Amino acid sequence: MDAAQIRAVLPQRYPLLLVDRVLSRGERSIETIKAITATEPCYARLGDDAGIEDYAYPASLLIESFGQSAALLWLAGGIAGTGHVLLFVGARDYTVEGHTYPGDVVRHVVHLERVVADTAFATGESWVGDRRIAVVGSLMAARRPADTLTTPA
Amino acid sequence: MSGYHERYEQLREIIAEVLEVEPHELTDTGDFAEEYDADSLRAIEIVARIDKQFKVEIPQSELPELRNLKTTYDAVARHAGWQD
Repeated sequence: MDAAQIRAVLPQRYPLLLVDRVLSRGERSIETIKAITATEPCYARLGDDAGIEDYAYPASLLIESFGQSAALLWLAGGIAGTGHVLLFVGARDYTVEGHTYPGDVVRHVVHLERVVADTAFATGESWVGDRRIAVVGSLMAARRPADTLTTPA
Repeated sequence: MSGYHERYEQLREIIAEVLEVEPHELTDTGDFAEEYDADSLRAIEIVARIDKQFKVEIPQSELPELRNLKTTYDAVARHAGWQD
């Protein structure tokens, strides 16, 4: 899947659409990439005195990118269906093992573990080259009818 | 085959982690919702953990039965066929 196909599946938009390409997708697993550049909005306020440590890509955005990858696996598989939205519920046992910086290409490997009562559980890892930067013990996303989210008149 | 006590304590640990309390704080009959502020998603997470740990599937229709540690153990034991 390319950027246009990803955009067609995910509701997120610039600057929070955090998956650039899908490398492969099976029934229960997906591999995606997210390239980090120095023009990411999260670096906009860095001053001239910023050190390289200030350029470490935020873990919160890494989790979001991983979560969107999991959503692509679930949504593109047709499991979520139309008229529903996916809500990120939370992540447990998320371990940061390394940092990532502008110029890096992050590769997320996501496995869908099980679906219980319209709630999906995924595990996985994030890599930069052969360096593992994060392990995701459990990520939860819930499918809910879209009309439950509309603003009351 | 692990015994009743070991499985019961394993279950206590799983549920305590989901409810974000220490295992010793989770009593046998303390109501998940009223005493530990659990919502329906926590119950779903408990079911998913049980499936992963014990390879036991609890049907969605039985989620309301998972009120406390004891009733949850009974539900797991029933589906797993544990006799003791």
